[in-house]
Amino acid sequence: MAIGQRALEATEFARPGRLERVREWWEQEHVFGYGLILPALLLIVCLVAYPFGMAIYFSLSDYWVGSPGGFVGLDNFRQIFRNEVFHRTVYNSFVFTSIAVVFKTLLGVWLAMLLFRTFKFKRLVRGAVLLPWVIPTALSTLAWWWMFDSLYSVVNWTGIRLGLITAPGPNWLGMTTYAMVAVIAVNVWRGLPFFAIIVLAGLVSIPREYYEAAEVDGASSWGRFRHVTLPLLKPVLAVVILFSTIFTFADFNIVQVLTRGGPINTTHLFATLAYQTGLMGGNLGQGAAISLFLFPMLAAVVFFQLRYIRRE
Amino acid sequence: MGRVSRRQFLRSSAGIAAGAAAWNTFGQAPAFAQKRELTFLSWNHFVPASDDELRKQAEAFGKQANCTVRVDTIAHLQLPAKFAAEAASQSGHDMILAGTNTAFLYEHQLVDVADVVDDLGKRYGGWYPFSKEAAYMSSGWKAVPWFWISFPATYNMAHYKKAGFEVPKTWEELLKQGKVLKKQGNPVGIPISHCNDANTTYWSVLWCQGGKVLEADGKTPALNSDKTAQVIEWYKELYRDAMDPEVLSWDDASNNRFILSGKGSWIHNPISPYNQALAKSMPIADDINHHRSPGGPAGIHSAPPINGIGIWKFSKNADLAKEFIKFHFQKENFDAWIVASNAFNHPPLRHFADHPIWAKNPKFAMLPGEAEYGHPRGWPAKTNAAVNLIEVNYVLPDMVAKAINGMPTKRAMAWGEDQVKLAVQGKLETKGKS
Repeated sequence: MAIGQRALEATEFARPGRLERVREWWEQEHVFGYGLILPALLLIVCLVAYPFGMAIYFSLSDYWVGSPGGFVGLDNFRQIFRNEVFHRTVYNSFVFTSIAVVFKTLLGVWLAMLLFRTFKFKRLVRGAVLLPWVIPTALSTLAWWWMFDSLYSVVNWTGIRLGLITAPGPNWLGMTTYAMVAVIAVNVWRGLPFFAIIVLAGLVSIPREYYEAAEVDGASSWGRFRHVTLPLLKPVLAVVILFSTIFTFADFNIVQVLTRGGPINTTHLFATLAYQTGLMGGNLGQGAAISLFLFPMLAAVVFFQLRYIRRE
Repeated sequence: MGRVSRRQFLRSSAGIAAGAAAWNTFGQAPAFAQKRELTFLSWNHFVPASDDELRKQAEAFGKQANCTVRVDTIAHLQLPAKFAAEAASQSGHDMILAGTNTAFLYEHQLVDVADVVDDLGKRYGGWYPFSKEAAYMSSGWKAVPWFWISFPATYNMAHYKKAGFEVPKTWEELLKQGKVLKKQGNPVGIPISHCNDANTTYWSVLWCQGGKVLEADGKTPALNSDKTAQVIEWYKELYRDAMDPEVLSWDDASNNRFILSGKGSWIHNPISPYNQALAKSMPIADDINHHRSPGGPAGIHSAPPINGIGIWKFSKNADLAKEFIKFHFQKENFDAWIVASNAFNHPPLRHFADHPIWAKNPKFAMLPGEAEYGHPRGWPAKTNAAVNLIEVNYVLPDMVAKAINGMPTKRAMAWGEDQVKLAVQGKLETKGKS
């Protein structure tokens, strides 16, 4: 007992008065609130803000692997703007993202409506639908890569057997248009479950009464969808489209595994080109400049989407 | 009874703690045991037994030199990022597997190993010519050339026999044969896509035609030339009349599958398809054979992958590392390592190339001789950062692919020249000069 007392006094911490004061200070709302945010804030500073700052610094320097460079202003950006491959990448990214997101939205809503119905093994099917989203992309894309293989393409084989394609069928990953179709298809396949499940959550939250009322008023199924489901889904859809746009713009795995940006750079996205130039080629400055190019575009997308959501 | 007094408890638990601490330190040897640790970062070898043999030698050297030698291997595609991290943090391994571009990219971060190179060269009959091109720069030898991977022609003897052809000695001859072979249902295959093999073959065809991409100074673009135009025309004709469109989407393994499927008649590749056929006892192994990489008006040239061992300047064990390299290059050790790799690791030293593993197999006999024609990529320039960028951006195969897709040869070449100009810009002009 006596020892305990002395130890406590030595630390000068636990005298009842002081402890009380600390506790009082801590329990003030503005201190406690910020205290709770602090760990998350630290994480963001270390893992997001710091790398982001470094990326900006790299993009303004002629930093090469193995030899830290000096400040060169906007030289890197000037060089990538001059580069035909970069122009092509910007074009690819817009084509890739817009088509993929449109398809994911349409098919996602459709799939969600199907899953919303009651049928046998509903839970099992709902779970199974998520698989493409859950399997690591690099793995599932390998399977796709094999299906599109020039020599042993399962897609072509099936198409030819079904009479849909004339032999020998397209060289999926070797022809410019087909390669884009292939990477978009895989991206849609992978992103669809994310859409469907979130839209499904939105559907579940729509009160049954609206549908009943609409039915009483004699609305057809299309009318119910058009005037009840769609307006109430809008906020959910807006959020999910926002997320999907960001993910799709920044996609890397699918292109890297399927085409490595080929044929003739017609499937390069910002991430793959930045990887190629920065890490493989050692030109970290330019690599950073290319990947930073994503930032203003995504920022614009986020800005408009969020404004739209808030207005709703 | 069995009551433990407080003092007893303290004493015994302190003993256990101390014992545990001591156990830990001995378990993780380095700091305590006064044994130096030498570390080596390499790739996961395509023939894993080769790595096993290397580790065995590392252990043997450790016993001899009273140190421990650790060999870490990772996927080869991850090496560039790992090197970048080690150079940036000035810490990591002592030795690294240095492909030709690594030695040039990290020229100022690597130790000059001229003494080891001289010593080994004198002892084992001298280095093949490509060794100097691949590892020597104005600041010295930045890697000890270690092994190269032959890049011969692989062909299907049955298809060739059916067409009544001898193996092609030149690329021109290959084109003529390819036209007939394709009609016979057995096209030839050279990738024109985003893969390493596409680069490798392009360099070879270009050099044989007498062309180059950069002048010897390593910064003056030299791509826009008659020679390049001829090469593009050759590719266009080969693509149209002797190959299938699938070559536009090939990766490094596609040509292996192409020849192993029995459809293809000729590819330009390391000996891996044949080894694979042997390993899986595929009947086609009997039909597959190799011949010398074709030549052209400017002689025979090829661009086999060349690997060296580099030592980081930040390493505190540079001398020990040099000792280890010499140990590994002792004849019995190096021979054992060649055998473990099943003839995949080709020696850059002349005496080692006499190994019976090649001589006794008629399908391998010509392989060591390929060394005479090898150059590192970029030759006659050094494999500097610009060459590396041109390679990883697949500028050369893309230029060919553009022409194949209908762009006039002149415009495709102008595009390629522009890409080369972009690659040599800025800081590069001072890099990798010899």
